[in-house]
Amino acid sequence: MKEKTTVADIDRSRYDFRFEEDENDFLGSGLTAQIVNELSAEKNDPEWMREFRLHSLDIYNKTKMVEWGPSIDELDVDKIVTYIRQKSRMNTDWNDVPEDIKQTFENLGIPQAEQESLAGVGAQYDSELVYHNVRKEVAQSGVVYTDLESAMHDERYAEMIKSHFMKLVPPTDHKFAALHGAVWSGGSFVYVPKGVKLEIPLQSYFRLNAKGAGQFEHTLIILEEDSYLHFIEGCSAPKYYEAGLHAGCVELYVGKNAALRYSTIENWSKNMYNLNTKRALVAEGGKIEWVSGSFGSHVSYLYPMSILNGEGARAEFTGITFAGEGQNLDTGAKMIHNAPNTSSYMNTKSISKSGGISTFRSAVVVKENAVGSKSSVSCESLMLDGISRSDTVPAMDIRTKYADVGHEAKIGRISDETVFYLMSRGISEQDARAMIVRGFADNVSKELPLEYAMEMNNLIGLEMHGSIG
Amino acid sequence: MNTVKLNTLPAPTFSWLGVNDTQRELDEHNAQSITLTEKRTSIDVSADSAFDINAQDGENKFAAMFIGGENSLQIKTNVDIGSSSQVTLVQVFESKAQTVSEVTARAAGNAKFELIQLYLHTTDTVSQADVTLDGRKAEFTANIGYLLDDSDDLDINLTAKHLGRKTVSGITAKGVMNGNARKTFKGTIDFARGCAGAVGTESEDVLLIGEKAVNKTVPLILCAEEDVEGSHGASIGRVDEQHIFYMMSRGLPEEKIIQLTAQSKISQTVNSIGDEQTAERIKLILGQGDEDE
Repeated sequence: MKEKTTVADIDRSRYDFRFEEDENDFLGSGLTAQIVNELSAEKNDPEWMREFRLHSLDIYNKTKMVEWGPSIDELDVDKIVTYIRQKSRMNTDWNDVPEDIKQTFENLGIPQAEQESLAGVGAQYDSELVYHNVRKEVAQSGVVYTDLESAMHDERYAEMIKSHFMKLVPPTDHKFAALHGAVWSGGSFVYVPKGVKLEIPLQSYFRLNAKGAGQFEHTLIILEEDSYLHFIEGCSAPKYYEAGLHAGCVELYVGKNAALRYSTIENWSKNMYNLNTKRALVAEGGKIEWVSGSFGSHVSYLYPMSILNGEGARAEFTGITFAGEGQNLDTGAKMIHNAPNTSSYMNTKSISKSGGISTFRSAVVVKENAVGSKSSVSCESLMLDGISRSDTVPAMDIRTKYADVGHEAKIGRISDETVFYLMSRGISEQDARAMIVRGFADNVSKELPLEYAMEMNNLIGLEMHGSIG
Repeated sequence: MNTVKLNTLPAPTFSWLGVNDTQRELDEHNAQSITLTEKRTSIDVSADSAFDINAQDGENKFAAMFIGGENSLQIKTNVDIGSSSQVTLVQVFESKAQTVSEVTARAAGNAKFELIQLYLHTTDTVSQADVTLDGRKAEFTANIGYLLDDSDDLDINLTAKHLGRKTVSGITAKGVMNGNARKTFKGTIDFARGCAGAVGTESEDVLLIGEKAVNKTVPLILCAEEDVEGSHGASIGRVDEQHIFYMMSRGLPEEKIIQLTAQSKISQTVNSIGDEQTAERIKLILGQGDEDE
C-alpha cells in the first residue's frame, strides 16, 4: 500500500515552556470603565490617553462583531485578563532583567541575535516591555527606539505620539481596534530622522506567558524623508487550554522617499486568537515591504494594509501561512492606491494540513485619483491532505481606467507530473516531493531575515515517507 | 415592495468593499411558468417568468432568451440535466429597467451545461447563477460578456459547485465599461470534499474606457478537496499602450483602436455561441450585422 508523505506539524517545543504567574499581578478580567481607569492609572497615562481609552471602550461596546471570516464565538473577551502588572521596570541592561523572564528570552535566542545581527532589541513580556536597548552609534544618529509609554512621557516625542497614535487605525475601524484603543499596553516607538539609513535591523519580540491573558501592544514607527529601516517582529506564547488573545496594533508612517521593511514571524500557540491590525501610510516615492510568516494561533485575522498616499509610492507583501491541526488562519493583505503612479505587489503561499484551514483574503483598491497605478497579486495554495481546507477570497475595486491590475491564483496538490519529471532525472521520489514542498515556500523564505528563514525551515520539518496523494 | 438581499457572496469578505451582497426593492415575484420542451428555443422575455429546462437520456437542448423591455423583470430559470445530456442556455440582457435573474442548474454524470450571458447596456441588472456539478465528469462552461455604458449597474454572482469526481468548470468573463458604469463580478469555484480529480478555472478580462467607471472583481476558490486543480486570473485596465502604438503606426486613430478592441472583447463571447441564428441576432443588436458587406 502506498504510504502518504507527511509534512510534520510545527515543532513548538522551543516555545511551549512557561513560568507560573502570580495572579495578584492580574488587573482582573473583563472590560469595564473601572478596569480601563485602573489600567490607565497603573500606567500613569496622560489625561488625553485616559480619555482616549474610555472613548475607545465606548466604541467597543457599540461595535458589532465582524460578520465574515473564521468563527470567534469561543472567544469570551470578558474572561480575558487585559493587563498584567509589570514585574520590573524597563531595563536597558540585560543583567537587570528578572531571571525567569531573562531565561524565557534566552531560550528564544533574543540576546544572542542582538549581539550578532541587530541594531537594537525590545522585549515585551505579557503587558509591558521589560528590556529595550539600542546600539550607541544608532542612538547617536538620532534614531529613537524605545517603549511607547516612555516616549509618551518624554516631552521631545509626546506631541508626535499624540498626533499619530491610532490615527491610521482609529478605534472605529473594527471591534478589536476599539478594544486595543481601550486596553493597549507596551509596544515600541521608533523614529528615524531624515536621511538616516539603518543598515542593520531593529527587533521587537513579544512573549505572552500568562494563562488566559491578552496582549495588546502598540507599535508606532515614523520614518522621515529619505530614511530606511528594517524592523523585525516576533511573537510567541506557550500552550494553555484557556483562550488567549492578541489584539496588537501596528501603525507605520513612511515618509517621502523613505523605505521600511517590516518582517514578522508569528508563532503564537494554538490556544491564541490573533486579531492583529497593521497599517502603513506611504508618502511620495516611499516604499513599504511586508514579509510575513503565520504559523501559530488557533484563529488568525491578519491583513496588513498599505495606503499608498503619495505619488510613486510602492508596497510589496510577501507572505506564507501554514495551517495545521486545529488552526483556522485567515491571512492576506490590503492595498489602497490613493495617488498617481503607485504600485503594489502581493505574493503569498499557503499550506494546509491535518484538518487546518487556510484562507487567503485580499483587497486591492485603486481610487479615481490613482492614475497610472499598477497592481499585481499572486497567490498559491497547497493542500497536503483531504481533510484540510484552503480558500482564496481576493477582491479588486478599480475606479480609474488609467490603471493596470492583474491577479492570479492557483490551488492544488503536488503534481504527479513534476514528481515524475524529477524522478526521470535520477532524483528519488522522496527527495523530489521534499524538493517541491521546499521550493513552494522558497520565494517567501528567502525574503525573511536569515535566522528567521532557518527558523521557518525548522518549523516546517519535512518527514518524507512515500508520496503525498 | 420589499428590500431583498441578492447575490450573496458564498464566502463573505471585508464589509467595507460592499461586495458581500446587493440590495434591491422587489415586488412579489409573479411569474408565468414556462417549460421549454423543444430541442431549440428562442424566446423574447419581457415579463416575470419562471423557466424549466429539462434534458434527460442523452438529449441536447438549446435555449436563447432575449430579455428586454421597459418594465422591471424577475426571471428564474431552473435547469436539470440528466446523465450524458447537454443544455446550452444563452441569455441576452438588454433591458432598460431593473432586472433580477436567477439560474439554478444541476448536471448529472457526463452531463454538460453551457451558459452564455451577454449584458448589453443593461440599466440595472442583478444576475445570479448557481451550478451544481453532481455527477462524475459533469462539465460546466460559462462565457460572460458585458458592454456597459452611462450609469449602467450590473452585479453578477456565479458559483460552480463541484460535488462529483472529475468534474470540470470553466468561467470566462470579458467586458467593456464606458461612462459611469458600475459592475461587480463575483465568480466562485467551490470544490466540495469528494470531488477528486476536479478542475476549475476562472478568468476575467475587463477593459475600462469610461473615466468614472467602477469595476469590482471578486474571484473565489473554495477548496475542501486535496486532489483538485483550481485557478483564477483577472486582468483589469486600459488598452495596452504598446498595442495602441503599434496600431497607430499602421494608420489607425486611437479612438478607432479602442473601439475595435472593445468590439473584439464582446465578439469573443458572441462567437462562442454555436447557434448561428442567435449569434446573428446578437450581432444585429450590437450593430455588427452588416460587417461582412
